[in-house]
Amino acid sequence: MSLLKHAKQSLLFYWRTNLGVLLCVIVSTSVLTGALIIGDSVRYTLRKFTDYRLGSTKLALVPQGRFFSTTLSDNLAKELDTNAAPVLQLRGMVANGSGDIRVNSVQVLGVDESFYNFAQGRTPFDKDSVDTIALNKPLAQRLNANIGDDIVLRIEKPSLMPRDVPLTPVSDLAIAFRLKVISIAGEDDFGRFSLQSNQVASLNAFVPLEWLQKQIDRIGQANIILVSDNANNSVTIEDANSAIKNSWQLADAELELRKYEQKNIYEIRSKRVFIDDILSEAAQSANDNSIGILTYFVNEIRRGDRFTPYSMVTAIESNDIVPNGMQDNEIVINQWLADDIGAKVGDTIELKYFVQAPMRKLEEKSSNFKIKAILPMEGAAIDSSLMPDFPGLADAENCRDWEPGIDIDLDKIRDKDEKYWDDYKGTPKAFITLSAGQKIWSNRYGNLTAIRYPIGGDSESDIAQKILGNVTPSSVGLFFMPVRELGSKAGGGTTDFGQLFLGLSMFLIFAALILTGLVFVFGVESRSEQVGVLMAVGLPAKLVKRLLLIEGLILALLGAVIGTFTAIIYTKTVIYAISTIWQSIVSGSEILFHTQLSTLIMGALFAIIFSLIAVWITLRRSLKRPARELLAGALRWQYFKAKKISKGRIALLITVLSAIGAVLIAVLMGSGDSKEVSGAFFGAGSLLLISGLSLSYALLKIIAGRWNRAVSSLAGLGLRNSTRRSGRSLAVIGLLACGIFLVIAVGANKQSASNAHNRASGTGGFALYGESTIGILHDLNSESGRKEMRLDSSDIDSAEFVQLRVHDGDDASCLNLNRAQMPRLLGVQPQQLQKRGAFSFKEIAENADKDNAWMLLNQNISSDIVPAIGDYGTVFWGLGKSVGDELDYVDEKGNSFRLRIVGILTSSMVQGSLIISEDEFVKRFPSDEGYRMLFIDAPQEDADKVSKYLTSRLPQYGVEIMLAATKLEQFMAVENTYLSIFMLLGGLGMILGSIGLGLVVLRNVLERRGELAMLQAVGYNKATLKKLIFHEHGGLMLYGLLCGIIAALVAVGPVLRTTRAHVPYLMIVAIGFSAVLWIWIAAAVALKGSLMDALRNE
Amino acid sequence: MLELVHVTKSFESPVDSGSVSVLKDITLKVEKGKSLVIVGPSGSGKSTLLNIIGALDRPTDGKVILDDKNLADLDDNKLAEIRNRDIGFVFQLHHLLPQCTVLENVLIPSLADKKMFSKEETQKRAKELLERVGLKDFLQYRPGELSGGQRQRIAVARALINKPKLLLADEPTGSLDKDSSQNVADMLVELNRNEQVALIVVTHSLELAQRIGHVMELNDGVLTDRK
Repeated sequence: MSLLKHAKQSLLFYWRTNLGVLLCVIVSTSVLTGALIIGDSVRYTLRKFTDYRLGSTKLALVPQGRFFSTTLSDNLAKELDTNAAPVLQLRGMVANGSGDIRVNSVQVLGVDESFYNFAQGRTPFDKDSVDTIALNKPLAQRLNANIGDDIVLRIEKPSLMPRDVPLTPVSDLAIAFRLKVISIAGEDDFGRFSLQSNQVASLNAFVPLEWLQKQIDRIGQANIILVSDNANNSVTIEDANSAIKNSWQLADAELELRKYEQKNIYEIRSKRVFIDDILSEAAQSANDNSIGILTYFVNEIRRGDRFTPYSMVTAIESNDIVPNGMQDNEIVINQWLADDIGAKVGDTIELKYFVQAPMRKLEEKSSNFKIKAILPMEGAAIDSSLMPDFPGLADAENCRDWEPGIDIDLDKIRDKDEKYWDDYKGTPKAFITLSAGQKIWSNRYGNLTAIRYPIGGDSESDIAQKILGNVTPSSVGLFFMPVRELGSKAGGGTTDFGQLFLGLSMFLIFAALILTGLVFVFGVESRSEQVGVLMAVGLPAKLVKRLLLIEGLILALLGAVIGTFTAIIYTKTVIYAISTIWQSIVSGSEILFHTQLSTLIMGALFAIIFSLIAVWITLRRSLKRPARELLAGALRWQYFKAKKISKGRIALLITVLSAIGAVLIAVLMGSGDSKEVSGAFFGAGSLLLISGLSLSYALLKIIAGRWNRAVSSLAGLGLRNSTRRSGRSLAVIGLLACGIFLVIAVGANKQSASNAHNRASGTGGFALYGESTIGILHDLNSESGRKEMRLDSSDIDSAEFVQLRVHDGDDASCLNLNRAQMPRLLGVQPQQLQKRGAFSFKEIAENADKDNAWMLLNQNISSDIVPAIGDYGTVFWGLGKSVGDELDYVDEKGNSFRLRIVGILTSSMVQGSLIISEDEFVKRFPSDEGYRMLFIDAPQEDADKVSKYLTSRLPQYGVEIMLAATKLEQFMAVENTYLSIFMLLGGLGMILGSIGLGLVVLRNVLERRGELAMLQAVGYNKATLKKLIFHEHGGLMLYGLLCGIIAALVAVGPVLRTTRAHVPYLMIVAIGFSAVLWIWIAAAVALKGSLMDALRNE
Repeated sequence: MLELVHVTKSFESPVDSGSVSVLKDITLKVEKGKSLVIVGPSGSGKSTLLNIIGALDRPTDGKVILDDKNLADLDDNKLAEIRNRDIGFVFQLHHLLPQCTVLENVLIPSLADKKMFSKEETQKRAKELLERVGLKDFLQYRPGELSGGQRQRIAVARALINKPKLLLADEPTGSLDKDSSQNVADMLVELNRNEQVALIVVTHSLELAQRIGHVMELNDGVLTDRK
């Protein structure tokens, strides 16, 4: 007879016990493998979503507030020998036909056929499609829209000149259209298209590219180019960026080269009015005779009490008008002006003009100049082309039609001014030196409005080539990003859901493994006489152990195979739960089931190994007894002797020391709700748990030792009985105490935003949080700003705003499963948060001033390092960084810089973004217009009123206001859901633990049936016996639960003092109930039938 | 004090649908302070008879009258009460609780009905009994630390703690060596005399039977006086 055959026969003979072991292995395999499959599924989902999001896109030229010609896309396709597609992407809002559902932050995409070459689908638009739109599924669902329905699309209309420049009009900020839905774009139709690494689908609306270009007056322009790989898979980012350099034109840099035949000059100007410094430099160095020009709008030109309103003044390098050697404090004026203000050469005149301050605020400044010359109204002095194409001015027929974007007093405009406009348009009335002009009018968008060259020598194309040759495309925002690579990195670098769920399930797996060992060993113990016989007839203990281990191995193998199948069912159930009750952890995104064979094998192998370890550890203990004891079977207890109590004394010492430690920590830390206090109390609670467990060990040892006081009650007898199997008793206490400790400690840490009014809380003490689709350009705290925004109600008198700039990027919050590569950036004036003491810092840079942590954002570290602050979830979990770490970023001109984390906030509503100072923000991203995030202070009772008012008054901005506490709770929901999952799985573990308790009871009672029969013989009835069993095991249960509960309540003491505390009473009661139930079941089963058989058998 | 009237006991046959009679029409009387030994070969039904007398089992037919009470008329709880108050048991395997001290083992029956005697009274009696069985120096010992004979003496003391009227012993010396057996037998005889407790002993041991006195033999379910 081989060992294997013997094992097989034993397995079949003791099938009841073995079935129990098998079930336990199945549970542990299912949970363990299930967790690994969840990891597989999340990784697969993120990979799949990256494919859906990008199609075959490898590189993308992403919008940096710039527009370029769509021919660049064609040229790049030829140059790189691959597919390229121009896309025009704008932010927008969509409402359903009746207007009762409105969705903000929609990605409006103007696309043509080439876009669909990147996906499997076909364009939904044909030449006959008029006023049509395709919505992606999530957007259609939000709008409850179907094919054929009408919707209203409102899009931001990009301005020629950034709207932060006060001269830009804001009247045409957004335009609206009524369109018919012709298609609902699914994954294959590129419905998920997005360049940001978020697993949650963007809300996309697709319209024909040409149509969109026309609506925003950007004929032939786009702001995105998608590039796929070529047939050789050899397109690199370097190739693509070189290809831009080889094929771009002036129009792609938003430059225009004009030729003025009569004046014999070429002129470079920008559609953005102000020419970027880098382009100015390139253009100026393209020709030795170039002349830089900066023309500015001044409010008045005054001499004494006479003044001329609203005029153009040009700062220009020396030429026919501004003579060589003219000083910066000198001015040349034209005759018209001289006549108007009665000026003559040598007089001093004053120029009054606005300079730009943040939030489109204007500061009127003035400068005095001495008149050097007066020019007659002829020749170069009446050059209206010197006025740049200021929006709202350049195309006005009359002065009274001006819409310059600043407050002007039209009453000041006289008839003679109208006449001047009729005769000379925007011809400058005065000229100063370029250096003087740049000193007073320079701004972040540029220092020149035109550059002129004399005709002769270089041709137009020579000049264009020279300019483009002098500048890199990236410096004007034309550069490719490796979006595919970033997407893969984002999906790969994410939190490993497999590990996460493994962690969450650890207690359940642990409980299942303990149960595996317990059931197996109970089986072995019930066969102890047989084992004794095997040893008595000369089989070495090692061989017997091997024999039993083979049985365990067969069970583990079988359990692992079945468990692998049940793991698939378990995973599908968890994924179903994630898509329903736990959807907050994936922000409502879908998780696709996927697994790999290697994962299944690995899960099964781990389960087999762990099960065998559990079996081996328990087997080792039970086979340690000599053969004579094993042979004695149930009577082996006659060898039971009083225990040595030295171990008990040591345990007692540990009990006392741990308890003193816990009390000392609690007393020394006192009250408070800081992280330090919470941490200390958690330590104190843990010490108390150790103390309680040591005490139970000590008591069991001491009572089992020389405890001389005779028992005089059933409870006392129960206590004595529990010392008989002190190992089992301790296991029961330990499992219950640790389990309940974890459940309470974790459960109590569920978060809520109940202290949201507190400045140090995650809301920063702000009552409301708002986001807008289109940037708000004005200061909402100023009267003028509110007036501009038409916020004239007293409803918002009590509100104060902190406005933040937003540069879109990856969502680095816990709502994004991907590892954010380029997180969203927020620009704020740090003093606004500092003076309020908003939010609390978890950590700040070493040696920094704690009381002025926000001001760290103004720290000047170096030209390519920008200080940044983020909250814990963003920095630690989202980005995997900590204080002092740096993150590579690229500004809108393609310059790399690094964000250095100088502070980490505790959990806050700004999760997902990094905050930098507004000064740095506008330096790096001057094209990001306005403020798209609002933190609003308002009295609690006014919050609703303010919210409603703003939402109703600013629909054109796509403003969405919510309670700051609600925003915070959205993030907390993720953590809370994880805690719920942990508690649920932990609770299941506890229930398995209580089944284990039941098994211990059953085993304890079964192996003492003889004793129980004796007790019955001496007069105990069954009820009394049951009571005795309850006293014994219920006592262990009660001790374990109380020990865990008390320690946990101390551990979460600081949290309990806050209103957000949440003690899972229901779970505790359920666990207690489950434990009592299993004791009762076990006791009932064990006492079933006639106990007297136990006496008779002997 | 104890009377068995036409007691029979049958079990279902493991091989057919019929039944197997273990005890056949047994009629027996035992007066207070008397002793009786029942001998018989293995499987003759001695232990079954003892269990019926000790209210651990019920007869299929007939009456078991203890102190004028027919045990067949009583429910399980009442029977347990009677076992606790009126009957003492000594088994072949002592069934001591290994985790309890010698003293505690003797006190075990008193825990089932704490109203019978006061705590102090019971403890005093337990100590006295242990003194009488020669174990006064081992009160705090665990059974595992004592010899087989000593353990059986604890079992006897335990059987007497509630001052029973009837002491039943099932092979009390079955697992003991010769010296211990004699020792236990002497003790049972002495207790029978001194405590005026009726004693019924089931044994294989003729030597033990002769030391105790009146011997009856159970053979094929029929109880007869041994000649």
